[in-house]
Amino acid sequence: MTSSFLDPKALTQISGMPLRARIIVEGALTGLHRARLRGSSVEFAEHKEYAPGDEIRHIDWKAFAKVDRYYVKQFEQESQLTAYLVLDASASMDFASDGLSKLGYATSLLAALTYLLIKQRDRVGLCCFGDERGESYVPPRSRPAHLGDLFAVLESLERRGGRGAESVSLALDRVAELAGRRRSLIVLASDLLDDGKSALSALPRLAARGHDVMVFHLLDPHELEFPYRGLTRFDALEDRRHLVVDPGAIRKRYLARLSEFLERAAQTCVDAGVVYQRVRTDQPVERALLDFLAARLGRTTENRRRWSS
Amino acid sequence: MEFLAPIMLLGALGVAVPVAIHLFGRSRAKVVQFAAMEFLLGSQPQLARRYRVRELALLLVRVLICLAVALALSKPYATCTSSGPEVSRGPQAAVIIIDDSFAVAWSDGDDTLLERAKREALAILDQLGPEADVAILRSAEDAPGVTELSRDHLRLRDRIGDIEASARPAATWTALRRAGQLLAASNHEQRTVFLISLLAKSGFQHGDEPPWPADTGPVLVPVGLTDGEVVDNLAVIDLAVERDPASGSRGVRVTVEVGNFGLTPAVDYGIGLRIEDRLVARGQIALRPGERQVKQFLATLPVGSRFADIAVELDPDPLLIDNRRFARTELREEIRVLLVNGDPHTVRHDDELFYIESALRPGDRGDSGAVLTIITVDDLPSRKLAEFDVIVLANVRALRRKLVGELAAWVEAGGGLIVSVGDNVDADAYGQTMLPLLPQRLRDTFDASYGARGSERAERALRLTKWESDHPVFSVFTDDAPGLREARFDKIFLLGPTTRVTERRVLARYTNGAAAMVEARSGAGRLMLFTSTLDRDWNDLVIHPGFLPLVQQSGRYLARKQDQRSRNELLVGRSARVSVNPDDQRLEVRGPGGAGDIIDADRLQGRAAVRVTDTPAPGLYRVWATDESGQVRRRAESDFAVNIDPRGSDLAPLALDELPASGRDEVREPSAVRKRDIELWHAIAAGLIMLLLFESLLLLRR
Repeated sequence: MTSSFLDPKALTQISGMPLRARIIVEGALTGLHRARLRGSSVEFAEHKEYAPGDEIRHIDWKAFAKVDRYYVKQFEQESQLTAYLVLDASASMDFASDGLSKLGYATSLLAALTYLLIKQRDRVGLCCFGDERGESYVPPRSRPAHLGDLFAVLESLERRGGRGAESVSLALDRVAELAGRRRSLIVLASDLLDDGKSALSALPRLAARGHDVMVFHLLDPHELEFPYRGLTRFDALEDRRHLVVDPGAIRKRYLARLSEFLERAAQTCVDAGVVYQRVRTDQPVERALLDFLAARLGRTTENRRRWSS
Repeated sequence: MEFLAPIMLLGALGVAVPVAIHLFGRSRAKVVQFAAMEFLLGSQPQLARRYRVRELALLLVRVLICLAVALALSKPYATCTSSGPEVSRGPQAAVIIIDDSFAVAWSDGDDTLLERAKREALAILDQLGPEADVAILRSAEDAPGVTELSRDHLRLRDRIGDIEASARPAATWTALRRAGQLLAASNHEQRTVFLISLLAKSGFQHGDEPPWPADTGPVLVPVGLTDGEVVDNLAVIDLAVERDPASGSRGVRVTVEVGNFGLTPAVDYGIGLRIEDRLVARGQIALRPGERQVKQFLATLPVGSRFADIAVELDPDPLLIDNRRFARTELREEIRVLLVNGDPHTVRHDDELFYIESALRPGDRGDSGAVLTIITVDDLPSRKLAEFDVIVLANVRALRRKLVGELAAWVEAGGGLIVSVGDNVDADAYGQTMLPLLPQRLRDTFDASYGARGSERAERALRLTKWESDHPVFSVFTDDAPGLREARFDKIFLLGPTTRVTERRVLARYTNGAAAMVEARSGAGRLMLFTSTLDRDWNDLVIHPGFLPLVQQSGRYLARKQDQRSRNELLVGRSARVSVNPDDQRLEVRGPGGAGDIIDADRLQGRAAVRVTDTPAPGLYRVWATDESGQVRRRAESDFAVNIDPRGSDLAPLALDELPASGRDEVREPSAVRKRDIELWHAIAAGLIMLLLFESLLLLRR
């Protein structure tokens, strides 16, 4: 199945965010036996023995006739999903070792997700952060025409490139304010490379408000493997810091620090009930999307179990 | 700073290499826009700056390494000036003579001359360089010689470091001669003798005789330790201990000679006398520069022992070793005298022995040194002759042959016999039986004042005119011998031919040429014949002052128990004679500081005395004897004192032009200010190693 996915490098050749999003989604859904997404109808879920306080109108009289006991029908909650896609467009997201930058990868991924959600008539909003002056926010809508607005914003961000170094936590706090008390799906696409700790502290807060939070932790292969050789000058993307060094001399220490950070990020998300997905920018976007859908499906089943208990 | 290979300094241009690498490296570095800088820089925001500083430090270290290599290869050296000899470097043969006589223990409070000498020697050794064949010689008397030159400079340095001041005077000339012999065997053209010494005159025993042949000898470079100056030194140069009867039976007179060898007058300088290590007398002396002075102490030896240790010491001065002098003294040993009275008389002063008894035991005092036994001829056979040291036959008739035989045997065994004549002596009878006891036959009596009366009798009387003044018996008399010369002899015995004795010697003669006292050896003993009486019958010698010392000296001489002057003539390093008893199994001699000798039975067997050669330090040496039963006993009579040679106390240096050399060109005067080259490349090489280590450290921490 992987071979049928598009190489992220090839993705860059596709101009137009709508087209790219559709290709990704279709590529991802091709070969699946059954769509795991459900329609927005009221569906029976299971029976429950009647207890005082239950709605009398939900008593299944047919069942009473058969077994002479009162059972109450339980239904899945029917609601229109509101999704906030939070995109990190800071300067560090501009890093691209080969082909697609983290920002390009993130926009493609979020565009595909937007496409998918809008097609399901869910409400999708977009919040981009990074450059404090140029922050973009698109309120959630479910109209098909809204898709074009979102694609336009994503496209313009990709063209502009990453800027600034705004904190992830500030952006998440703002999304929490926008979402209010309504339970929402919040999808964050970021490299979490601000100061690390603040982003990781904001995610549990968001989850604690009852939102479904998912994180695409985007990392470039070169960031993960640090394959540099020879005297190298590393210029920071977010500030003016730089370092001239023989990479071989610091590789071990760098990888140890990075590994420690990744473990901490994953653990924080698991502890907070946040779906955490580490994404290498050299892996197909469809794969990341499928992993997202699988994780989302798992989360839905879990929620259903939680609600029915 | 100068350079032996300045061309190598061009290597300093190599500094450009690390600089270029650094600059090119920086510009050549790939630039990567990187997002995860936090993980590159770690948790320390200053890390980038620290990396930069480290890079700069690395650059600096590498630049310094390049400079150090170029500098070390160019062999830099610095020239400094100091006093001392100018030493050329390179292949050569050299002998460094270091003065280790006791005089180099002279200290100015901080440093001894020996330490200075060692420093000079080490400096010379360093400057000679590793290609020089060198020998280290010591110049004290009897210092061990060295047989070959060596290039093992580490061992030579150790040898210099091990040198300690001896207790012997300098024998500089001998050391120079040894040095000349060593260098004569060398193939090097350049041969030098560095003489690091006080250059004291006393060390040049052979005057100005050159120590090596003319023209072929080495160059002599003297290095004076006192810069040609005379340093202050006071020393006890002689010590004599004599009995002093006026001070009592145990009284002694200690005569000390003190010398001032410096240029500073010694005023009220303290000097003390110690007996048995107790300070018994103290005085002061004043000495002008170069003056010698004799000082006497009168003291009494402690009761209970015949022997006593005596030491004289001056107050401390820069050279301590010659401030003390030691002596071992002994009270006079008593002699046992058997007086055989040939003419006893009831009137005491008419008795034949009255005067000699008074002379041998004046005032009947116990400290006279003689134990007298008086008998008549009849009692003589019953006496054990071996109990006596001296027998006096005073005017006895001729004895029977048997008795004469016993007496003769006793004399041959070591006894001393005095025979005096008188009216009881018959020449013929003596000629028949008494010849074994006489050095010469008796011939006739001679009455000088026969028939004379009054003043004529006095004029015709004989007197003593000639005596052997160097003989122990007469050694106590001055040349005119007051108390002997005035004595009048009216009647004497003339002597005939010599008997069968050896070493016959006429000790004194009368004015008519006849013998007055004749001495001869018989076996191990001695015979003495006095040709007049020992009372006033034939002469009035007995009432003259000279009679007492004459009799005393004769008795002690025949008993071979002379008053012993203290044996203070034994010098450091010389051998001491220690008598051996037949039952001695082991002798142990212990000196000051544990020095000494142990002599076992195999070396003692059949010997009357042994020589102890291990006398390296001045002081008192004690003798212990182990007898056959294994009992260890102090033998105080064998203890002896050892002193330093006073010649070495004179520290006045010899002028350079007085140094013995076969030609003036052979003595190179040490320049007052010498140039000394100090090689710097060793230090630079050491610094280079440190820099390399530092660079490795920096690389490790990158």
